[in-house]
Amino acid sequence: MSLAIAGMGWVTPLGKGVDSVWERLLHGDEASAAAISEQFAERSYSAFRVPGSALTGLAHPRLRRASGISRFAAAAGLDALRSSGVKLDSQNAEQIALIFAISNGGVVYTKRFYSDVVETGAQSASPLLFPETVFNAPASHLAAILRVCGATYTIVGDGAVGLVALKMAEDVMTDESLDYCLVVGTEEVDWLLCDAYWRWRLLRLAPPIEPFSKQKRGMILGEGAGAILLARTGSIAIECAHPGGCYGKRTEAEKILKEMLRDLDQSETDFVISSANGTFIDQAEEGALETVIPDAIIYTPKPALGESVGASGLWQVILGAQALRHREIPPVLHANPNISLRLSFSRTPLPRARQAIVLSSGVNQQLAGLRLGIR
Amino acid sequence: MTNFLPSHTAQLGSTTGEKTLGRVAVVAAGVVSPLGFGLAETLNSLRQARDCVTAVTRFSVAQCRSKTAGQVSDDRLLAGLSKGLHAKRLHRASHMMIHALGEAMTQAPQFTPELIVIGTTSGGMSYGEQYYRSLRQSADLRRAPTWIANYPAQKPVIDAQQEVLGVSAPCQVIANACASGTNAIGHAFKCVRSGRYRRVLTGGYDALSELVFTGFDSLQASTPEKCRPFDRHRTGMVLGEGAAILALENLDLARKRGATVLAEIVGYGISTDNFHITQPDPSGIGAQQAMERALQSARMSAGEVDYVNAHGTATVFNDAAEGMAISALFNGVPVSSSKSMMGHSLGAAGAVEAVVCLLALTGQFLPPNINFDALDDDLDLNIVANKSRPAAVRMALSNSFGFGGTNASILMRRVEA
Repeated sequence: MSLAIAGMGWVTPLGKGVDSVWERLLHGDEASAAAISEQFAERSYSAFRVPGSALTGLAHPRLRRASGISRFAAAAGLDALRSSGVKLDSQNAEQIALIFAISNGGVVYTKRFYSDVVETGAQSASPLLFPETVFNAPASHLAAILRVCGATYTIVGDGAVGLVALKMAEDVMTDESLDYCLVVGTEEVDWLLCDAYWRWRLLRLAPPIEPFSKQKRGMILGEGAGAILLARTGSIAIECAHPGGCYGKRTEAEKILKEMLRDLDQSETDFVISSANGTFIDQAEEGALETVIPDAIIYTPKPALGESVGASGLWQVILGAQALRHREIPPVLHANPNISLRLSFSRTPLPRARQAIVLSSGVNQQLAGLRLGIR
Repeated sequence: MTNFLPSHTAQLGSTTGEKTLGRVAVVAAGVVSPLGFGLAETLNSLRQARDCVTAVTRFSVAQCRSKTAGQVSDDRLLAGLSKGLHAKRLHRASHMMIHALGEAMTQAPQFTPELIVIGTTSGGMSYGEQYYRSLRQSADLRRAPTWIANYPAQKPVIDAQQEVLGVSAPCQVIANACASGTNAIGHAFKCVRSGRYRRVLTGGYDALSELVFTGFDSLQASTPEKCRPFDRHRTGMVLGEGAAILALENLDLARKRGATVLAEIVGYGISTDNFHITQPDPSGIGAQQAMERALQSARMSAGEVDYVNAHGTATVFNDAAEGMAISALFNGVPVSSSKSMMGHSLGAAGAVEAVVCLLALTGQFLPPNINFDALDDDLDLNIVANKSRPAAVRMALSNSFGFGGTNASILMRRVEA
């Protein structure tokens, strides 16, 4: 089954608005990293944060106490609907499904909630914070805002979860009573998350993210949300959402990616939106791309926007769709110039581009990919 | 890697939709819960109406109202598993999943899944807690990478497959709060029914954690007393833990290869009621819609249902709303909540309760609702009070409802020999 993109929205460290952020990426802009610290710890980290201006005008009673992760998701989801021209009302509220892609969830409120428990005991645990720690809190807020009353799913995973959510949307849309599926990926950053990835040796203390570097110095986290409204027809199609795969050991990732690329590359692939982020997954993607589609142009948005985990897959698909629509691709920042892959080192016109592959390689064993096409 | 695409590719590009409905067989099942390890122990506990809730031992509950939970024995979880360093590092949620999947695959060794859909609410949360406590107390953080790597929700799903099958099918991990397990089974059912997949593993898991226990306690949703679903004197829920797996396969294909068919899944309903993030719509409309949609999906009438395994958390609000919804749709159908015996295992609950329904269908009995004294005056339900009893059970419905107003119901049917 092929589904089409009817609307897109995102909230990123470079701001909000698909076209305005796209323009900034084309110009080679990179989000500014902010220092992120914690009262009880000496070490500080860097992260690409969403500017406050990106959330202006977002007011709804359900979001009054909600964490950043829910606000980002609501802003992106509402933008995706707005850009599609689809208006939800009581007549069609059952014809739309909502699928959320989440990785770390509401880490800010989770930390605050548990911190109270650790510091002063269970009697000071907050009943207001606890519901916001649940993975499906962002989805429930957006469902309430949109009055979606049918299928609502939150799925969790690593950086591949956004594409897994799109694959699930394809499965859900086999129900012909559904006209649309809104897929939202969202992530918020906290010091705790940075510390966890740093201890796992996947994060560096300050930018830049250097994709496909031999040194694998690590990633910088980014936050925000991406949203895609899927419909039955449209000019940009998800021609094939691959079921993906899971690696047991890191060394197995490249082999699985090769098989996925062979399945997805059924005709000429013009470009690939990679998920290279300065960690071990770059080597796996490089090896697979070099072997299977060495001629495709490669772009990764992570140096400009950061590794946004739950949101990243949706951002990548939005970028792929934008590149197909506008027939050009932004420059990859801070990449190794000696790499054998055809990276888009500068803003690159793609006058005849018709097909793109999006690859999402998670650091916690999940791999996913899909093929986009323009009709 | 097993290439999962070929069987799937045949379906890509086709629009099978809901028109060409395949029948969906349950060809194997496995379970670990406070009721026991495996189907046989679980059946025995259900028949004997065992109260499997005990004092919490995993963390301090001195400052909580509630002091009890349904718990899975660590000694039994670790017994028989590989003693290597790798196994020791895994979260106990992974160990539960390994046991449940191991049992299921013993029944269906030739079952090669194309997809695995699992529900959970909190993944390896206790590892996150250990990491945070160690940070705050400047304690030894040498194990932090292990805690962090084993914390994510997909990890137990992948671990179990790697351990039992040696490979991992692509996984979709659903976190729809307390409805996760039923949502996972329902979605997996639709995947097979639509013809897009032939064989899907599904189920749910959750391991008890301090953060979640404290959270429900802070909401005053959990009780210091016994869990008494639908009782006039109910005072709240008791938490639990566990894991359960069902292997789903296209019925025709299963029969063609000579597989034992334990039951059929015939319907799935999902609704979102948007009333409140932690409370159901008091009218019961969300629960009612989920059940109605499950019946519509199965093309069956309410009169054909012989048993309802209720969500039945024993909270005042849930049981009032669910009880109203059940009595609005069904006329005197026997109802029980397994949570009275084993607590509420959150993301695992829907999966464990699907196994309870499976056992009711294969064993021809009604599982009990224990700790029951007298029905809530505002409800009109036929509760299977305190003891299991023999009954002709051809069709069972299982409900799960969660935070965020997410509601799910599945319908299972007995397969005649």
